[in-house]
Amino acid sequence: MYRQTQTALQPLPDPPKQYLPLDGVKVSAGFPSPAADYEDARLDINEYLVRNPVSTFFFPVQGDSMQGAEIFDGDILVVDRSVRPSHGHIVIAFVNGERLVKRLYRRAGKVALVAEHSAYPPLPIVDGIDLEIWGVVVGKFKRMV
Amino acid sequence: MPVFALVDCNNFYASCEKLFDPKLKGTPVVVLSNNDGCVVARSAEVKALGIPMGVPWFQIREQARRHGIVAFSSNYALYADMSNRVVEVLSGFTSNIEVYSIDESFLEVSGFSNWPGGLAGYGEEIRQRIADWLGLAVCVGIAPTKTLAKLANHCAKKGLAATAGVCDFTTMAPEMLTCLLGRIEVGEVWGVGRKISARLDAMGIKTVRELRDMNAETIRASFSVVLERTVRELRGVSCLALEELVPDRQQIMSSRSFGTLVYDLADLEEAVASYIAKGAVKLRTQDSLAGAVQVYIRTNIFKPEVPQYQRGVTVPLPEASADTRVLTAWALKVLRRIYRPGFGYHKAGVMLLNLVPRTSRQFALFDAQGSAMDGRSERLMGVLDSINGRYGRGVLRLAAEGVDRSWQMRRGNLSPGYTTTWAGLPRVRAN
Repeated sequence: MYRQTQTALQPLPDPPKQYLPLDGVKVSAGFPSPAADYEDARLDINEYLVRNPVSTFFFPVQGDSMQGAEIFDGDILVVDRSVRPSHGHIVIAFVNGERLVKRLYRRAGKVALVAEHSAYPPLPIVDGIDLEIWGVVVGKFKRMV
Repeated sequence: MPVFALVDCNNFYASCEKLFDPKLKGTPVVVLSNNDGCVVARSAEVKALGIPMGVPWFQIREQARRHGIVAFSSNYALYADMSNRVVEVLSGFTSNIEVYSIDESFLEVSGFSNWPGGLAGYGEEIRQRIADWLGLAVCVGIAPTKTLAKLANHCAKKGLAATAGVCDFTTMAPEMLTCLLGRIEVGEVWGVGRKISARLDAMGIKTVRELRDMNAETIRASFSVVLERTVRELRGVSCLALEELVPDRQQIMSSRSFGTLVYDLADLEEAVASYIAKGAVKLRTQDSLAGAVQVYIRTNIFKPEVPQYQRGVTVPLPEASADTRVLTAWALKVLRRIYRPGFGYHKAGVMLLNLVPRTSRQFALFDAQGSAMDGRSERLMGVLDSINGRYGRGVLRLAAEGVDRSWQMRRGNLSPGYTTTWAGLPRVRAN
């Protein structure tokens, strides 16, 4: 039951902006609140993480090969397809039928996908490897409790 | 002079399925209709195999196995999300949009002829952005009328035009266009269905060009004003404007075939209650009230060997309502009256009729509770809708809709909600 509740209380992937309903508020005839003029300044986490909602998708991470870039098992990556991938970006890559997260290396005519963990060697993209850079990772999030 | 661009997603449902699953690259993919009945979308690889649209799945199952075709049940939540994203990207180009269907939109683009590369360049820009941002391929057809824009799109899709994916009739030399239209079958014309094209064929009219060059009066006399208008549109005279606002529905229908035959009244009651709930949400979304409710049930008419029964009854409501509880109570009353035991029911449906705007309703003459009840009903329904809007359709519902829902439709090969559920998000490997 607890888990159920927990699952339900999450922000939607592409939520409508939340506004406070004003019509239900009782107005009293005392001193006006000095804070009244400063309403609707509450922060929205979507605004911070998602710059272009229409082109943004989420991908959960499985594994530890990107921990050098502070991407850990279970993190949810924020991927924005409107960002043009370039050298040094962390990207979602479709390689030979697998969805991978790696750092994109693209220098001097060479392309490789690089992990951020000493146990995982870089993956050079040579002829015969089918590579599609799906999108650029622009952020991540995780719930702790 | 208006100029229309028709933006149409290629193999839309199949492309949505392929977008998130790299294993499907180069794989033939079909998407099946409700209850996994017929093929409603085909990837390019499936089209190349010559499998037609609409063919029943069981007929091609063996062929599918041989060719390694992967079949999906319709993942409506995914398609709707991607469709909304396409429309949102298009809205960045112009606000003059008519969303024509889940995978097609008309844009009015006459203001963009000075774009670098002209309107074709503008179309290319649209194509590129949807490919970059959403990973979906679209084709763009540009022409002075909507009917021609549809055909231009057809040319773009079939590679009959110079540039891949974009076809602009407005800059094409007239003799070129005539030649092109002479190569397209008349059945491809928007609004020319199978019946009309058969009749045209009998008159010796086989191509779009021949239809365009018909005498308009003759068309009106032997067909209809609608087809005459089509002929004018083919000549470049715009008769159909952009319909930016969808008019409110005059009736709301909600019906489904069942996954398995349903015999019990209790199961039918759950189904009908859930259809009412769905319809009532639509009703409240357009701020209307229903003045009447229709319920119908029927056995499988495609199996004449089993006992057949069908019946539908409409009841007018004493007072127009958008309250799920009121509508459900009336619908169940009707259902219990028309239900006959001993039949295997295949389909049930409800229709909300005599819709009126909420603001112009009439109160009942003998109103037992008085209008005090009224504000409470509206508030309750508001809460119901906002909870279901936030936590998912059907999270909060009337007990009448049931819990286990054995009658629900079969969707055996449903892909995850890649963009619409947390559990369905596509995992990436970091190992």
